[in-house]
Amino acid sequence: MLREKAWIPYAFLAPALLGLLLFRFAPILIALGGSLFSQSIRGDTLFVGLKNYHELFEDPAFWAVIRTTLVFNLIINPFQILCALGLALLARRPTRFVEIFRASFLLPMTVSIALTSIIWSIMLDPTLGPVNGFLRWIGAPAQPFFRSADQALGTLIMVATWKGAGYWMVFLLAGLLAIPEQLNESAAIDGATAWQRFRYVTLPLMKRPLAFVLVADTAANFLLFAPVYIVTNGGPAGATHLLMFEAYQSAFAYLNHGRSLAISSIILAIVIAIALMELRLFRQPEEAER
Amino acid sequence: MSFTRRTVLKSGAAAGAALAMPAIARAQQTNLKVVWMGWPDNQVLPLFAEFEKRNPSIKLAVERMPFSQIFQALEVRLNARSGDPDIFIVDSPLTASYAARGHLMELDSLIDKSRFAPSAIEAASFQGKIYSAPFGSSMQVLYYNKGMFRAAGIEPPSADPAKRWTWEQVLEAGRKLARPADNIWGFSFEQQERPYQLLPLGQSLGGVALSPDGLKATGFIDGPAFVEAFGFMQKLYTEAKISPPGQFDTALTPELFGSGKCAMLLGGTFVADTFFNKFPNLEFGVAPHPYFAKGKPVTPTGAWHFGVNPRTTQKAAVNQFVTDMLSDDINALWFKLRPYVPTLNAVWTKEAKTFDTDMWRIVKHESQITAVPRPATPGFREYEDILRVTLRDLQAGGDVKAALSAAAQKIDREIAKYKG
Repeated sequence: MLREKAWIPYAFLAPALLGLLLFRFAPILIALGGSLFSQSIRGDTLFVGLKNYHELFEDPAFWAVIRTTLVFNLIINPFQILCALGLALLARRPTRFVEIFRASFLLPMTVSIALTSIIWSIMLDPTLGPVNGFLRWIGAPAQPFFRSADQALGTLIMVATWKGAGYWMVFLLAGLLAIPEQLNESAAIDGATAWQRFRYVTLPLMKRPLAFVLVADTAANFLLFAPVYIVTNGGPAGATHLLMFEAYQSAFAYLNHGRSLAISSIILAIVIAIALMELRLFRQPEEAER
Repeated sequence: MSFTRRTVLKSGAAAGAALAMPAIARAQQTNLKVVWMGWPDNQVLPLFAEFEKRNPSIKLAVERMPFSQIFQALEVRLNARSGDPDIFIVDSPLTASYAARGHLMELDSLIDKSRFAPSAIEAASFQGKIYSAPFGSSMQVLYYNKGMFRAAGIEPPSADPAKRWTWEQVLEAGRKLARPADNIWGFSFEQQERPYQLLPLGQSLGGVALSPDGLKATGFIDGPAFVEAFGFMQKLYTEAKISPPGQFDTALTPELFGSGKCAMLLGGTFVADTFFNKFPNLEFGVAPHPYFAKGKPVTPTGAWHFGVNPRTTQKAAVNQFVTDMLSDDINALWFKLRPYVPTLNAVWTKEAKTFDTDMWRIVKHESQITAVPRPATPGFREYEDILRVTLRDLQAGGDVKAALSAAAQKIDREIAKYKG
């Protein structure tokens, strides 16, 4: 009886699987395939094998972009997760107005990334921006923010974190609220300090949500594009030139689609490799033994 | 009135015909998809309304895009190699780029060359054929705020091209006029990052922006003239601090000037209208484009043309569009809506009264004597984008020679595909 209806779960899954196939796997396959081709200036397609990859690896400017992207991710991912965890811990306690705080932490998520970029580029404008207006008013020197090679990457990280931290907080808050209160209480009775309860009770039980947030956040940040495109154009002096922007420029400024698709495929490979490492790092002990 | 069967049938047929008319008209109507620059409504809508009035059977679906995105958006659309859009606006130096890649229809049979300024025809041509319709050209003049000059006790620059200011004079006056801590600036370029605006600095010192065949930047854009000129440009932002850093939105710099926060603006003829309309109390004068004391005066030129997608299925309607838009009166209307430098000889005669001002006398002189077009290369899209980002970077500081050499190498790599 059961065997006869074995197809039923697949029928339910079919629409989602079809979507996954059409909107995720198909573009990936098209990108992988396209990275092996080059386009003539009149639009004819020519098979070039691994030439696009070879040219990328030979190009020192491409390695500089990889370096900037890795530095950006090495800083932003732990930083965003720390902020998200901090916010989640603050928003967990059932105090007055906690709902208002939770909602306000979430608010930046409702603003589109393009709008976020424009708002912050106006706020942080070196000449006309209100932030520098405030700095001048309190007698502090005005800052160049996005317009300085030293500050641009840091500013980009702050803006992306302003937008992202509240979103990732939601997942971590759900994880925190799922931890049974008795565990904390019994640890407190045994004399554990607040830090010890966090370190030895909360944190081990947060491994799963943390692993998910880390992997998803890494993927999101590797694909960050809008603020670079809208505000910095990769500058000054390449300080914010991330891989996604290089892929975009290759396609739409330099009209080199093969190179652009090769870069997209490299981003995918890097994200998969890093995600696997992160998942390994956060593996539960019982999973590791298997 | 008695109703016979015949009158009922007649009136029924008449009513049916009346009801069917709009449907028939719709069936005969042609829709043209047009991609245009995102200028304000009042500068664009009357132009297209006039065309539709003359051609009731052609309906224009106009999509306007902001300056910062129009080129990228057009690339995406054109690379799909479909018939969409039918018509699109073309920055004149991009004519060769689009034509080489098969994105522009040849327009020789529709354009009578003798009606236009020869420089406009040159800018519209690629390999001896016309590919873009020369809709307007451009010129930059130095606007100055009379009140700010008076307050600082500085004699303003003369409107006489023979007595034009040098860049050294602009810098000296700028130092007296700027108070960066109070957000008051001495001088600003209208388009602070655009090669269009900045190439004339190097050209004033004898620099050539690209090899004559249009395919090599190394040894040209990173040559001594451009290193010196862009070093001077950098100084305006870093050491002298007379120019507002990071203002790359071309709508903002005229606002800075108009609101009295910047004493001099090197800007296009079209920004004067912004001052008249938005800042009626602004007291400003106009002077010719500055040059380097040891060099020669050079000014930018070229502007918006439009082109036809060769894959359009509406050949008759696009031909009508090209012919009407380049007619004397629609072109004169366009000049009144947004005063770019006319390319059509008839507009100069027709609007003779308008041109009897300091600004237009300067423009006429510059257009004939000092104007140098941007480099002619099928790789202009890549050339401009790489150089734009480099100029942006240089305004924040850094080694000029190293940055220009890196840009030149990148340009060479990207335009190599057009060789042969």
